[in-house]
Amino acid sequence: MVELIILISFMAGLLAFFIPKVYGRQLLVVIGVIHLFLSISLWVKRPEAIFKAYFAVTAEGMLSLIVISLLFFLISIYSVSYLEKAEIQSERIFIGSMLIFLSTMTMVTLSDHIIVMWIAIEATTLASAPLIYTYRTAEALEATWKYVVVCSVGIAMALLGSVLLRVAMDAGHIDAPASFSGMTAVAKSMDPRWLKAGFVFILVGYGTKMGLAPMHTWMPDAYSEAPSPASALLSGVLINCAYLGIFKTNQIMHAAGLGDFSGKILMIFGLISILAAATFILKQTEYKRLLAYSSIENMGIVAFGTGIGGIGAYGAMICLIHHSLIKSSLFLTSGNIMQGYGCKIIENIGELVSRMPRTFVAFFGGFIAITGFPPFGMFIGEMLIIIGAFRTGHQLEAVIFMISICVIFAGLANQIMKISFAETKTKHRIHVPKNMLWPQYVLLLTSVVLSFWMPETLYETIVVAVNSIGGGF
Amino acid sequence: MMIESMILWLLGILLAPFFSAIILKIKAFFGGKKGPSLLINYQTLSKLFKKSSVYSTSTTFIFKLGPMVSLCATLTVLLFLPIAGHRALVSFDGDVIFIFYLLGLGRFFTIAAAMDTASPFEGMGAAREAFFPIICEATMFMLLVLFYKLTGELSLAAYFAETRPLALWHMAGSSLFFVVVSLFIVLLTENSRVPVDDPTTHLELTMIHEVMVLDHSGPDLGLIELGSFCKLFFYASLVARLICPFDMGHLLPNMGVFAGSLLLVYVTVGVTESVIARFRMDTVPRFVLSSFVLAFFAIIITMEFIK
Amino acid sequence: MIGPLDTILSLVLLSILFSFGTSLLPGLIKVLAFQGVIVSIVPLLLGHEMATGEIVFTLITMVIRGVIIPLCIYLAIKKVAIRREVEPIIGFNASILIGLILIAAATLVSRNFVVPSISDSALLLSTTITLLVGGMFLLIARRNAIAMVLGYIMMENGIYLAGTTFSIHSRHIVEFGILLDVLAAVMIMAIILQNIKHTFDDMDTALLRTLKE
Repeated sequence: MVELIILISFMAGLLAFFIPKVYGRQLLVVIGVIHLFLSISLWVKRPEAIFKAYFAVTAEGMLSLIVISLLFFLISIYSVSYLEKAEIQSERIFIGSMLIFLSTMTMVTLSDHIIVMWIAIEATTLASAPLIYTYRTAEALEATWKYVVVCSVGIAMALLGSVLLRVAMDAGHIDAPASFSGMTAVAKSMDPRWLKAGFVFILVGYGTKMGLAPMHTWMPDAYSEAPSPASALLSGVLINCAYLGIFKTNQIMHAAGLGDFSGKILMIFGLISILAAATFILKQTEYKRLLAYSSIENMGIVAFGTGIGGIGAYGAMICLIHHSLIKSSLFLTSGNIMQGYGCKIIENIGELVSRMPRTFVAFFGGFIAITGFPPFGMFIGEMLIIIGAFRTGHQLEAVIFMISICVIFAGLANQIMKISFAETKTKHRIHVPKNMLWPQYVLLLTSVVLSFWMPETLYETIVVAVNSIGGGF
Repeated sequence: MMIESMILWLLGILLAPFFSAIILKIKAFFGGKKGPSLLINYQTLSKLFKKSSVYSTSTTFIFKLGPMVSLCATLTVLLFLPIAGHRALVSFDGDVIFIFYLLGLGRFFTIAAAMDTASPFEGMGAAREAFFPIICEATMFMLLVLFYKLTGELSLAAYFAETRPLALWHMAGSSLFFVVVSLFIVLLTENSRVPVDDPTTHLELTMIHEVMVLDHSGPDLGLIELGSFCKLFFYASLVARLICPFDMGHLLPNMGVFAGSLLLVYVTVGVTESVIARFRMDTVPRFVLSSFVLAFFAIIITMEFIK
Repeated sequence: MIGPLDTILSLVLLSILFSFGTSLLPGLIKVLAFQGVIVSIVPLLLGHEMATGEIVFTLITMVIRGVIIPLCIYLAIKKVAIRREVEPIIGFNASILIGLILIAAATLVSRNFVVPSISDSALLLSTTITLLVGGMFLLIARRNAIAMVLGYIMMENGIYLAGTTFSIHSRHIVEFGILLDVLAAVMIMAIILQNIKHTFDDMDTALLRTLKE
């Protein structure tokens, strides 16, 4: 009954195009609840898929799925209040696209067939394109255009990579199903040359979607132009989905004994992304673009950690989960600021602390969390990655990594301090509805709780997932 | 054998003006007119040869030499051509290079004669005449590379005599189709046909070949005209041998088939001229370049099969 | 001797060269349509045994790639009646020469690889590489947004060619999913194109430069 989760949200999405927007908002929350419920039941029961050739419940898939569910549930509650205040021309398209987007992301987490995976990831691009164009401005149009073209072309590379994986099977004279689990099982006898080529193409393809530099160009534009709930979804979970594609291919590489090769490439892309983020983040003038570059940095960290393997891969997984929680909370908060000040430029914003105190707490908390301060989980993840890098003898890389993170912290801090404490002309308080605050608090709190206490099943699932790419303690 | 070749050579020269008239007829037909008689070119030639030449005082002997040399070069080239698939009068290994440089020599003297008049229009025409055939020459040499790859020989007879064209089709298959198109474009360019150049235009600014011979008159002009008929005949024969590569075994049927395929080529030229408008001067290089592209392309895909 | 497969593949290569050299959008779209048709009938000529379902699927692919996708783009440009010339960043003659070099390079490169299932066709691998790189070239070398979409379609054609021929096990229902995705992507791009026209009054991608870094 696994496919039901995909189907329900998809049907709801189609329905949302036709019903009045008041019902549409309720539908969003209802589906959020149902989806969360189904995901939790997946963790409890672990059922089998009906179409076993295409879908499977895997450890890494379940991790991503539960994050998606939780985030979508909270974002849907936030969206109801957000949509009341925001003036969006075509709300039905927005809600419908959100739901279909959810459905396609769920499909990514559950798919096992390499081509089905590709179809699902390309579908996420298509479903989220209308979200970015919600505000119908010239900039939004440009961002959407860039997003669709860059991502489609990038993901086309991943399709080529998937084809090459099949060629690798043919060249090794094996006849196995073209699924990730099937290929992992026979990886040893696949042709290593084609396998390597396939991995590189898949990394470039899904890496585009994940925001790895130098394929990240669409990311700041899309994040800054999309409405905040959509940005939160894009940054919080979409990039996890893309990472999942790379992760699963990496599994095959490890099973084939080519883990060193894939690790090296992942580390290179990771470091380039972190460096690119560190370079560009210093001159940003809009807070949503700032957050987008921070996402690029975090994806770089995740790729770097995955590449190191061992304890670093575990750290990367931790980083991935916490990044989703924290970054989506930050984007939701930026939606509050956007609605309160009506402006995206940092120069025009100030004294957040006195004008929107409760939003300030969420914003500043998120900032502390994303830059890797304890007691938030990013700290643990980054710590583990650095330890892992030193353990495996990558001292130079670790030093570059740490310096870049410090630069990014400085860049972020500079701008966030301006937003929080700089002088402004008007002093009056801005009212924010409760429903646009507590989702962020819940997300940040979850991050704090997870760094002190992790449920046993969650821990085990992470370890199982990480073991398959040569990670663990 | 030698006699037959000799007769064929003479026949070729004699019939070249006739075939050129077919183009005029076709164009007239598309224009809804009756058109001139098929013998019009002979009448023009005889009219020109009866007149006397007028020379500008500013010209030198080069101006007089131009028409003569270019006609002779063309006639010499025809010696190497296996007309109707029959053995050519002269043939040696490497003669293709010689042939294309002979044609180049003819062109050089036409250009030199045009420059000799010191007329700005003729200089402009000369510049164009020098520019477009550069690309054509590149194409021709690409084709030679291809033919050499296929046959291992460098003589026109090895490509076009007897059953050789059929063998080419066997070896290269569909890529020879690109060769035909490419050669046809070269034909149009080298002989100043529409859409590259318009032989009937009356505006010096848009002329290429015609503007260069504006100052020639009488027998000189006649020589130039005859030369251009022969040149067209040469290229048309190459195309004709490729599109109809069959060898009947006897001379007479061969001649019939050859005349038929020549007719087809000339009709195609006529139709092309009727349905395609002349290109703007700045788009002409792209058109000519496409012949090079096709030839190069044919080489790539053919080499892939021969390796 | 060249078989029918290589004959039509050489036509595909020629269509790439033509698309590099043409400056008119309707012509470019027609070339892409032609390419789509040819690419989708390649599986029929591979000489494998085919079930009826697979033949029907191939025909559907042909209709979508050869008719529906080009039609989407064509209607998009017709509706908004934009200028029908493509502004190149790299000139047309240079593009054609680059195309030739590309084909030659692809041919050379393809000799170093052995794809088990297509050893009987000499051109398949080099055509695929040329389609992929050629599509990317169109994306880079043209300033017109529509030409960029067409470049994407060309790339997709290349990947389809790879997907259907490189592996014997590939004829499968999932191919249909890919096709639907591509179709949807092109439709969304066509919608964005119309909006770009409405917002900017042109298709020049140089106008899409307000967002940087």
